[in-house]
Amino acid sequence: MKRKLFLASSISAALAGCSPIGTALNNNQGFRKFLESAEGLSHVAIGTRGLARLYTDADVDRNFRTNGFNPPADASYTSMVADGFRSYKLIVDGAVERRSTFSLAQLRSMARQTQITRHDCVEGWSAIGKWSGVRLSDVLGAAAPRLDARYVVFHCLDNDGQGNVYYESLDMHQAAHPQALLALDLNDAPLDAAHGAPVRLRVPTQLGYKSAKWVSRIELVGSYANIYGGGGGYWEDQGYEWYAGI
Amino acid sequence: MEPIASPPRVISRYNIVTRASHWFWVIAFGVLVSSGLQIFNAAPYLDASDKSNPARRVLAIGAPADGVGTTTIFGHTFTTTGWLGWVDDGSGGRTARAFPGWITIPAYQDLADGRRWHLFFAWFAAACWLAWLVSAAIKGSLQQMILRPSDLPKLWPMQAFYLKLRKEPPPYGVYNPLQKASYTAIGFVIAPLVVITGLALSPGVDAIANPLTWLLGGRQFARLWHFAGMLALLGFFAVHVFQVATQGFVNQMNSMITGRFRVEGHEA
Repeated sequence: MKRKLFLASSISAALAGCSPIGTALNNNQGFRKFLESAEGLSHVAIGTRGLARLYTDADVDRNFRTNGFNPPADASYTSMVADGFRSYKLIVDGAVERRSTFSLAQLRSMARQTQITRHDCVEGWSAIGKWSGVRLSDVLGAAAPRLDARYVVFHCLDNDGQGNVYYESLDMHQAAHPQALLALDLNDAPLDAAHGAPVRLRVPTQLGYKSAKWVSRIELVGSYANIYGGGGGYWEDQGYEWYAGI
Repeated sequence: MEPIASPPRVISRYNIVTRASHWFWVIAFGVLVSSGLQIFNAAPYLDASDKSNPARRVLAIGAPADGVGTTTIFGHTFTTTGWLGWVDDGSGGRTARAFPGWITIPAYQDLADGRRWHLFFAWFAAACWLAWLVSAAIKGSLQQMILRPSDLPKLWPMQAFYLKLRKEPPPYGVYNPLQKASYTAIGFVIAPLVVITGLALSPGVDAIANPLTWLLGGRQFARLWHFAGMLALLGFFAVHVFQVATQGFVNQMNSMITGRFRVEGHEA
């Protein structure tokens, strides 16, 4: 009986000690780097292969969940909303042969892709939407990326309310994926402000935070180390993995 | 005639890889459960569907008001204040949060940190499993461990022996039939299923292996199975610890640390 009591109390003590020890290790920079080493493994093992599952119209969430930051509230965005985004320009620059700009009308006149795909949020929930727009690779192709271009950085119009701008990045392989889409429509209607109007990224093979909303500029770079926090994305700068396939 | 009890002898039961991976799993399992609950807290509900669908919600933990925690299972709501829903925030206070801070890594709510722990230790546990599998296959102990059809009739007699309904256990080899059954279930069915259901949650894996997530019922369903698998592993863990504690604790612990197991008369 004594032995069982001893056992039970040592097991409880060990369990109660785990959370503080875990929290202390969690806040140790060296240990954090050690844990981060698994990201490379996931990237190599899973990578960006295959195609995301395609759904049918019956599967679509008519009221597609809005999340992330509020729509931009500054005067330049509200004036674009007011003029139906006629003054909107998508800039493609950086390591490209031809710095290019696209008006919304130009994007709408390009070859269309429509996909009904699932949006998998890092928080654990999922929603299905019908997205229609232009293949990212078509837009990049028009600007002719140079050989030193390794990453595609998406600069967005929204921020977290404390002045930190939303941005994201993909490598050239991910950007060339046939389902990587610059979406203009959701569920057969032009994107509304809450869903990233007029142009948002859709990367159905990765977690939702990669699918940046309110994209205004696409910059091709050799490295994203010197952009904002250097993590390659807003959430990456907050500690989330750059490789968002898992 | 009374059977003559043979004197106790010491056998070498667990090789170094088995022992090392066993204790690594103890650490990995603890981390995976507590970081997994941290991840669960970011979307504290489970849906039996592909996309999120409140109409098919199996489990939901929430705080309908400040100071009140509730847990809803198959539509039945229970007040779980202090345990689930309205709990320890990991820094001395209480807050609206599914699982409490004392059981999550890190203690405070941080999805990015929880994911970092979870994904690292998922790889680590899988690597240990693979090392153990290869080593056990080479040493031949895998054959001694896996449950065979011929073991099935011995399962009840073995349980009856433990329940003191029988004086002698049925004859067996290095592992008794109940041990074989639990090793086989946990090592070759439940643990691999937990890994597979976890992978099925990943949009990258879903793109590579569409049928996998589909077979499980979709992404939210995979999340539900992953959670259920965790509960099954916890159940195994509880039974396992109980058995070790009640069946020669010192001998059992010694065998998993040094490899040497003292056999009393019965074993054939």
